[in-house]
Amino acid sequence: MNPLLNRRAFAWLGAVLLLIPAVAPAALAQQEPLRIAFIPQENPEKLLGDIEVITDYLSGEIGVPVEGFVTLDHAAAVEALRGGGADISFSGALPYVLAHDQVGAEVLLSEVYRGRPYYVARIFVRKGSGIDELPDLEGKTIAFADPISESGYLYPLETIADAGLIERGDDPQRFFKRVYFAGGYQQAIQAVANGLVDAAGVSEFADLLLSPEQQRQVKWIAESEPIPAHAVIARKDLDPSLKQKFVDAMLKLNEPENRWLLQHVYAPDGYVKATHDAYEPVAIVARRYGLLS
Amino acid sequence: MSWVRCLLVAVTVVSLPLAGLAHIVVEAPWHPLAHAYRSAVFLINLRPTDWGLVERAFTAGDAPGAVGRPAREQLIELDAATGSAHWPAIEQAIAAQDRDALFAAATRAVSQAIRHHLGEAAEHLREPGAASRELDEARALYRSLADFIQEADPTGFHDVGLAWLELASSIGHAGVVAVGAKPADEVAFAAARAAIGSYLIANYEPDALADRTRYAPIPEQQFQANPEREVTAWLPPGSDLNDQDPLPRLVLNFEEGGIDERDLFLVAFGDMLFDSPEIFGEPARSLGLACSTCHNRSDINQRLFIPGITPRPGVIDVDGSFFNARFNDHRDDPVDIPSLRGIRFTAPYGRDGRFASLRDFTRNVIVNEFAGPEPGPLVLDALVTYMLEFDFLPAPYLNFDGTLNELAPPAARRGEALFQRPFPQMGNRSCASCHLPDSHFTDNRVHNIGSAEDGYDAGLSGAYDTPTLLGTNYTAPYFHDGSLDTLADVVAWFDQRFALGLSDDDRADLTAYLEVVGTGDQPYEAFDGEHTPFRLMVDELSVFLSTLDTLIPARDQAAADLVLRTVAADMAADASAMTNRAALEKTHELADLLWQLRDMIAAAEWDEAERLWLAYQGLEQQYDPELR
Repeated sequence: MNPLLNRRAFAWLGAVLLLIPAVAPAALAQQEPLRIAFIPQENPEKLLGDIEVITDYLSGEIGVPVEGFVTLDHAAAVEALRGGGADISFSGALPYVLAHDQVGAEVLLSEVYRGRPYYVARIFVRKGSGIDELPDLEGKTIAFADPISESGYLYPLETIADAGLIERGDDPQRFFKRVYFAGGYQQAIQAVANGLVDAAGVSEFADLLLSPEQQRQVKWIAESEPIPAHAVIARKDLDPSLKQKFVDAMLKLNEPENRWLLQHVYAPDGYVKATHDAYEPVAIVARRYGLLS
Repeated sequence: MSWVRCLLVAVTVVSLPLAGLAHIVVEAPWHPLAHAYRSAVFLINLRPTDWGLVERAFTAGDAPGAVGRPAREQLIELDAATGSAHWPAIEQAIAAQDRDALFAAATRAVSQAIRHHLGEAAEHLREPGAASRELDEARALYRSLADFIQEADPTGFHDVGLAWLELASSIGHAGVVAVGAKPADEVAFAAARAAIGSYLIANYEPDALADRTRYAPIPEQQFQANPEREVTAWLPPGSDLNDQDPLPRLVLNFEEGGIDERDLFLVAFGDMLFDSPEIFGEPARSLGLACSTCHNRSDINQRLFIPGITPRPGVIDVDGSFFNARFNDHRDDPVDIPSLRGIRFTAPYGRDGRFASLRDFTRNVIVNEFAGPEPGPLVLDALVTYMLEFDFLPAPYLNFDGTLNELAPPAARRGEALFQRPFPQMGNRSCASCHLPDSHFTDNRVHNIGSAEDGYDAGLSGAYDTPTLLGTNYTAPYFHDGSLDTLADVVAWFDQRFALGLSDDDRADLTAYLEVVGTGDQPYEAFDGEHTPFRLMVDELSVFLSTLDTLIPARDQAAADLVLRTVAADMAADASAMTNRAALEKTHELADLLWQLRDMIAAAEWDEAERLWLAYQGLEQQYDPELR
């Protein structure tokens, strides 16, 4: 499952701050481990198996023990970076810019999906609902994924603002009859498919979370500016040589003989090096909505 | 063929289609209690009921498709937290093998568990992270009821659905490093919680449930209003009807000879039928089961799994109560799905060879195993004609007479000699006496080799058809019931059963021989950026539709209708496998046009049907480059 689809899936595991030390080669056991936070998605138990595969690979490549663990959500991963519980974390674009601002996190890599390190958000509606363009949404209900989400809130809102239908910073409920935060992409897009709301503002991939029959029943009427893809980020002050070795090892996943390993890290097409500049547009949007000063 | 036979579950997780992989629809993992409940309710509908499996549904921690600690532990915790006694009631019902009591106790437990977690969420509204976890848990449990509420009570489903949205919206947010934190709206949360609670109490926790013979979590008020209501077919959590990955390569005799399937009406029509759930009855039809579901591309489906019906993936009991109660043999006798490659050479049919005729066997599958209507001559002729085109995979190590060629390694050559050696313990017969190398490694007979226990004392009912050994590297598990995992296990079984006294080297050589005989060229479909699973489907559906060139001029309403129902449904379902998502709507447009064509044919508006058929072909040609 694409992490661009994921928010807080399967949090019912409740206590899942699943600290699962990966198997480290015995010769490396005495060294300080590199700790990586993974964001939960799909099947957390599967992710634990995945973590072992990828941390074993990274240990071999980097030459230090690598430990992986699954956090409850993005916020917990950022907390782990701040508190020293994690050196590296997988992260969405918005949590990254917040972490960059608050705790000095540094972006190292971007994921690539379908050949590009970015994606878009879309406004989905039901076919035949009479809603064919954004102005038709006035007085209607809409579900977003989460208030702290780039593709599941801020970028769809930007798209509506770009169309001149709402003022940035204004309460969107002045335009809509009702705004819901459904708790995730899946819940938001299901709410449209099930006729609970008129529209959903979510990731372009969210309709893949519907059954084939439901997919036939929805369409999208607008899409956002490109959103930088999910990232791999490091805590402030991580040893530069260790950081470089980690980046080199991750980029080797793009090579044909290593591509099978990508299935064990959220199944992107690959990784590219990233700098903060690529994520600055997200920071700009976050500032518009008061999430960054 | 359908690459995305979708499990009709409330929530699915769809993997992004990746080049080189068959597209699959994967069920999202279940909350353990929701998993146990749905599994148990499914199992108590089966006759006879396997009460051991029912118990395992609550106590096992390794159920496929579930994530988390076993349901039993969660129920005990719920009981402790709420002062209730759900687990003892469930345990007692299982011990007494009392279906009504189990259904009532488990349904009440799930409902109260949802309400309990909503209550916990309300208690922790000042701690948004903790409250969200409780809400997610309640929602994961509600999933066990949601699709039944949606089907039986759309209004209730809508109202309760809005209440869930309200809960998620009013629960507040912890923010990221405190940025964006938002307090809960306790009043809105309480109102939504009350709406859900009252619905659950009225429909899932009444003092007594009405009597019933079939069990499904339909809201009680709706059930009482219409006790005879038919529920759409459903499968328990962990079921997997997806095609196997890698996908077997289909080898068709005419195709290897350069003949276009579009020129072979009966073959193309049979190909369509092989992929059509429409020839079966309920529940197979609604579940999207077709011949190809078990026999992917003429071979097998190693991942097919339905808890309670398949003891292990790729092995299924087709004559139980689920698919056709009239055909229920009340025996636990699952069979390993056989490959149909080379089927014209492998008579008799059925694992015990009960049918000499492929036509009779096919009719039995349709009518008896899967409750379909009596097939007409065209249907049977076409299916048989198509299946007779199934060839074995080309065998790179074999001569035409089944002897090893010069490419075979030495171990296999030594194994070949052992394979040909008569053993006194086998009545001076050799392996080759039954698996005749120059007859596709079968003698087309049944033998009792002691591979199954007889059903009664001194019975002689354990004889099974000699299977071919061609292509067997790709068809594990082995034996009629799929009880052996590897070809080495098969060799070891014969060695022990007949006290052959083989050395370790002998067994290794014989295994090497079987593996060489069982090797085929390119056993799996090779996908790439151009040849995608969706593209393969598009090409196949186009062949199926080519039969309309014969059926429309012939004014064959019934056959054309069957083609259109099959293809339009498949096309719409498989659209979700497209890698070119930008053309998704075009695929839907094509499917919609086929439904319109079907309506015209149903109304015997043949002139309009011909016009639409031409329009469809033009559109298909226009969109073709984008259909990938």
